[in-house]
Amino acid sequence: MRMQPPDTTERVQHDDIAVKWALWAGVGFMCLFGILGFIAAVKFVVPDLFWSVNWMSWPRIRPAHVQGMIFGWLLPVYMSMFYYMIPRLCGVKLYSDKLGIATTIVWSIGILIAIAGLLNPTDSLSLWWMTKGKEYEEFNPIANIFLVVAWLMLLGNMLTTFARRRYTQMYVALWYALGCMMWTAFVYVIGNWPSQLLGGDHGFRGLNDANINWFYGHSVVGLIATPGGLGIAYYFLPKSANAPIYSHKLSLVGFWTLGAIYIWNGAHHMIYGPIPYWLQTVATIFSFLLFIPVLALVTNFFGTIRGEWHQLRTNVPLKFIIAGTTFYLLVSTQGSFQALRSLNAVTHFTDWVIGHSHMALFGTFTLYAFAACYYAIPRAYKRPLYSEGMADWHFWLSFIGFLLFSTALWIGGFNQGIQWNDPAHYTFIQTVEDMKPFWHVRAGGGALMLIGMFLFTFNMYKTATSRLPETPGDDGGARLIADTPPGTLAGAR
Amino acid sequence: MNVYIGIPLLAIVLVGTLLYILRNVPEKSATLTSLGIGMTFIIGMVFTMLVPSFNSNWSVNTGENLARYHAVYSKTEIAQAEKEGREPQPLTTTVGHDPADLVGYTPLQARGRLVYQREGCMYCHSQQIRPLNGEITRYSLGSSGGSLAPVADEREYVWDQPHFLGTRRIGPDLSREGGKYSDDWHYSHFYFPRQMVPGSIMPAFTWMFTKDLTDASAPPVPNDDMRALVAYVQTLGFNRQVWYQPLKRDPKTGAFIKDASGRFINDGPGYWRRWLDPTDQLQTQEIGESQVLRADTSAGGGLGGQVRGGPEKTPANVIPPKPPTPAKP
Repeated sequence: MRMQPPDTTERVQHDDIAVKWALWAGVGFMCLFGILGFIAAVKFVVPDLFWSVNWMSWPRIRPAHVQGMIFGWLLPVYMSMFYYMIPRLCGVKLYSDKLGIATTIVWSIGILIAIAGLLNPTDSLSLWWMTKGKEYEEFNPIANIFLVVAWLMLLGNMLTTFARRRYTQMYVALWYALGCMMWTAFVYVIGNWPSQLLGGDHGFRGLNDANINWFYGHSVVGLIATPGGLGIAYYFLPKSANAPIYSHKLSLVGFWTLGAIYIWNGAHHMIYGPIPYWLQTVATIFSFLLFIPVLALVTNFFGTIRGEWHQLRTNVPLKFIIAGTTFYLLVSTQGSFQALRSLNAVTHFTDWVIGHSHMALFGTFTLYAFAACYYAIPRAYKRPLYSEGMADWHFWLSFIGFLLFSTALWIGGFNQGIQWNDPAHYTFIQTVEDMKPFWHVRAGGGALMLIGMFLFTFNMYKTATSRLPETPGDDGGARLIADTPPGTLAGAR
Repeated sequence: MNVYIGIPLLAIVLVGTLLYILRNVPEKSATLTSLGIGMTFIIGMVFTMLVPSFNSNWSVNTGENLARYHAVYSKTEIAQAEKEGREPQPLTTTVGHDPADLVGYTPLQARGRLVYQREGCMYCHSQQIRPLNGEITRYSLGSSGGSLAPVADEREYVWDQPHFLGTRRIGPDLSREGGKYSDDWHYSHFYFPRQMVPGSIMPAFTWMFTKDLTDASAPPVPNDDMRALVAYVQTLGFNRQVWYQPLKRDPKTGAFIKDASGRFINDGPGYWRRWLDPTDQLQTQEIGESQVLRADTSAGGGLGGQVRGGPEKTPANVIPPKPPTPAKP
């Protein structure tokens, strides 16, 4: 579906200030939490690293890394790319750049407060400060308030921009972006408050608490990370490949089935747990139904670059998006099968799950975010990308590093699960010892991924701080960059 | 607020807002899109989150004898015990007891839960035994699995806020850990896990101990957080009872006898008993004590050493007396 520009010859000038602020918040947190993730990986094989330092203990670093990557890197970079694509898709300027800057500041303060509470150097037991102790909802209530306020500011900014749009037809990326933003508002509040407000002497305890925890936890992946990432990919894939999306009907199918199916999956995190059998079965069935939106999306994306595969040789954003789409197909297939009881009996609780979760959050959504940044940030700064070669290195380090990381965990984790079911021959500590070689490989893969992230940071920094190109034109070269075919920017330094 | 008033009221407000919007907002497609997004969410949320979570089997307000699944204390008893300076005693039955008076943890154990939460123990340890053969066997105790680990029951978790079900087993499942080892084993293990379990990658929780660094032989002393944590760990599964039905055995071979139609024969009435047989508990505690005695300060580059908690012990720590040996014929 091609977007028709309005009849007026007036071209909207996008300042993209909010894009830049959100990007640097995201990139800064990505480096910090990437380092924490690497330390966590090393601690599997060197457990006495930083011994006796309470705020560096593994169980405190782990939630800081996981939550920091989701809420400190992924959501800010999504916000940055939404600030880029939503005004362009609506044909108007962003409603308020200042509000965008304020949103990023409030959000970043929330993240810092949250992480300080998770690492908890003072060993505080205050319920206002320490971790809430449930996965995906660890942030303390003070941080929750900051994040909710920032998200409402974002919603206000985006919905006003959207309400003032000039194009009547809504492109699919816009549905996903709006869906992501609205679902996040609901999901985040539901996940982080009811159990606390209604806990104590009445309300949600025990398995009720667990059920709500995993309803929320899976919705973080399915209704926040997924629509945000897919929306961004739906915009930046046709833009960078210079090819139209394969099928509008398929994008409709994908969007609506995603929203309808994903929320039923929460209980698949507790299969064979003490929750009712019927609830587990419901979650398994809907986990398998997810093949519908996933196949719709993957068909759409691969169909879009039909005849354009040669571009993968030179087009860095395209490399990231196609790799991300392949990983999306793989991780969703893997997840659907993991929800079946027979496989779940082996893989549940093992390191396999960590390979799976990183293929979604890093292999798919982070690679989509990198692709979007490589396309959008040079345009936002109206300068060419500093180095396409470095971006290529980033891609290959991420790709190979991630494959080492996850393959080691899948093989080791599966082995671990098989051994756990054979207590006559394997004590628990023997299964831990058998995992150690795989943990070494995982740390090595993680190191490569981290180096790739540093290259990306450096590339973005140099792009932002390089001199404006001296080309004639009323917009300082922006038109030149926007109209240049992909893959030919490297020379224009 | 009563759920039967609240939900219809909410529905009326939402439907009213919907009708108002549809009547007055000219731009229909965006409104309908948003509503569609909202509806898919609400339907899924109701059926997977709200309906199960309002299931009364999972709440405290049930006629079940919860004391069979978890220790239950009455608040008045806890207050009384505090006045008299002794350990609170758990109830033997909750049937007929006022639910508002019941709690699942003493103040010390509840603080231990908060410490468990703060230290993030649930990121490595799960607290659910799955109905899988290998798992039941693995977490059983006693030689040749004398005390079979019962599968996790929903009623064991009614006191837990937040839940600690866990999603990873970097370390073993802990739901049947209570009473398995003595308090001193736990203190020594938390101080430096690798001295008790070689090859372990568990962090050394040294910041919850005070050690006189000028005196190498001075033992580390657990602080209040650590005592609370051990008190909590010792509750895990300790009060879980199982229904035991004795069956007739052949006195010579010990094999089960079956009747004419191939069914087992009851040998007296069935009864509830603690899943952990005292003989099996004694065995694991003795093994644990030998590990504690082996711990020395030279381990881990001076990090190691026995840690003795002190005279007060959790109820799980009381080693039952050895059963009398039968007289020789």
